[in-house]
Amino acid sequence: MKNRLKVLRAERDWSQADLADRLEVSRQSVNAIETGKYDPSLPLAFRIADLFAMPIEAIFLRD
Amino acid sequence: MSKMPVYMKRYSIRLAIFMSLYTATLIGGLSWMNSANPPGEAVAVLLAILTALPILGVFWAIFRLLVEMDDEYQRLLMAKQIIVGTAMTLAIVTVWQFLNVYDVLAQGPQWIGAIWLAMFGIAGGLVRWKA
Repeated sequence: MKNRLKVLRAERDWSQADLADRLEVSRQSVNAIETGKYDPSLPLAFRIADLFAMPIEAIFLRD
Repeated sequence: MSKMPVYMKRYSIRLAIFMSLYTATLIGGLSWMNSANPPGEAVAVLLAILTALPILGVFWAIFRLLVEMDDEYQRLLMAKQIIVGTAMTLAIVTVWQFLNVYDVLAQGPQWIGAIWLAMFGIAGGLVRWKA
């Protein structure tokens, strides 16, 4: 699944580690989600959406 | 999370404890067995179980880690690692078993727990290689 995580992160000038800290996950997890290797669970997707104050579908896009 | 997560700290402590206990019981037990006054069979059974227990503890620590990991992606990798390690172990002991059946090897599969731990380690590298 495609997502806009990298762009949203860059807009805020956050590193992958910064985002990982804010989400309380590992940096590898952020990397795997960003590169589309791993689709997060709904709870984590909601946490990401809450962090960016956006709806989930504005961050994760249908293929 | 640049620092070690709590679940990894707990896992490392548990591993260190069980491995120390294992080393102590193995050295102590074997020294006694090979001494001038070895214990009788009942005590030998007890020593064997006592030596095996810390290894069971290592397995427990590994499966407990899977439960305690609060990072879902890491948990997925860990689950894959356990499955791949188990598959490799089954492959090895199955081939080994038939080498024994066809009289190529005098003994069938031995030290399966140790093989699993080794395969679990190799699987960790394989699973995380391009993760």
